[in-house]
Amino acid sequence: SRQVAPRSSHKQIMPSYKLSYFPGRGMTEVSRQMLHLSGTLFEDNRLEMDEWAKVKESAPFGQLPLLHVDGKPLPQSFAIARYLAKLFGFAGATPFEAAWVDALADQMKDYLGEIKQYLLVAYGFAEGDKEQLQKEVVDPAIHKFFTILETRAKENGSNGHFVGNSLTWIDLVVSDHIEILEGLIPNAVDAFPLVKEVQRKTTSCPKLKEWLDKRPVTTW
Amino acid sequence: YLSLSNMPNYKLTYFEARGFAEVSRQLFHLSGTPYVDNRIQRERWGEFKSMTPFEKVPVLEIDGKVLPQSFAIARYIAREFGFAGRSNLEAAWIDAYADQFKDYLEYIRPFFKVAIGASQGDFEQLKKEFAEPNRDKFFGFLEKLAKDNGLNGHFVGDSLTWFDLLIADHILTMENFVPGFLDAFPAVLETREKIVNTPKLKEWIEKRP
Repeated sequence: SRQVAPRSSHKQIMPSYKLSYFPGRGMTEVSRQMLHLSGTLFEDNRLEMDEWAKVKESAPFGQLPLLHVDGKPLPQSFAIARYLAKLFGFAGATPFEAAWVDALADQMKDYLGEIKQYLLVAYGFAEGDKEQLQKEVVDPAIHKFFTILETRAKENGSNGHFVGNSLTWIDLVVSDHIEILEGLIPNAVDAFPLVKEVQRKTTSCPKLKEWLDKRPVTTW
Repeated sequence: YLSLSNMPNYKLTYFEARGFAEVSRQLFHLSGTPYVDNRIQRERWGEFKSMTPFEKVPVLEIDGKVLPQSFAIARYIAREFGFAGRSNLEAAWIDAYADQFKDYLEYIRPFFKVAIGASQGDFEQLKKEFAEPNRDKFFGFLEKLAKDNGLNGHFVGDSLTWFDLLIADHILTMENFVPGFLDAFPAVLETREKIVNTPKLKEWIEKRP
């Protein structure tokens, strides 16, 4: 693990944050991004498999990611993301907007479940026919989910956000995922111009660019 | 009906079942909030499907604005009416447990689909292969959670939350399929007893369709 910056002298006011995950982005990256965007010091704790094996027992559900808030571990990637989003202002401007961000995130979870096997095969974690999985499972899943996103972006006024008028955590999650997806399937979402516009606008945010330029490079 | 207050008009649409809408119905009832409990027959789903944002129910309409996804709906109502814990961190813990519960539901799905008659299969074999090991894992967590929380009748914090309702309702469903399904988890069962005996909830459970 590696401290991103020295501990702040405002230790009493802000809790200490340690975000633990594998050396990858997955659904944890959004939380790293929000911590960075908010200027909040945090420990970006990336564990190799052998390090994880040693501490797995102590994790609430035996899984990563974990956000330690003043030493107490909060599990589940989207619970972590939502908590940080609310804290730092990336959860929409109203409860209804926050609920729509949640709804899109849950829909994304369903989509990720559908493409999970393909991703495992593509990254070499499982055996399988990558091309067949792409044709039979992934292409339809992309079509279904990204059509929903495209419709949503349009209904939201084609303003470069999925919900409301400012950056939310669903903008961040989808933007990062597109980059990962297109690393495997070039031009995978070309048919969804408004979604691509959300990604473009999100990733051009200067403070995010700062993080994107300095973060460890990972393929997933 | 004519709304005489500043309360929004709520309409919750789902099938004629408890399923993923029941927690939200319970929250409306517990908070004394009027709402339209719109139940559609499964045979008529084709008519409504394309009118929903994600081609799924439940959907919640709030003054005509539509919100999909059962957990987004439940969390929204829970936060409005005070059933999402007493702090943002507590709310986050509830979210984490709810997501873990969702994962567990995915794992037991092969058994569940057969149990509700949605597909064919060997009930006993699927129970042994999918339901029991995943139950042991997930309810093992909940057993510890209930004990660590002081057996106070809640899984998180000291007030009724949408996670309490989620679990209590699920236990009812599973016990219908497999009597004694959770007998190995006494703290969970004790917590469930306290939850369902909450007066306004008891009232709903007795009168609901």
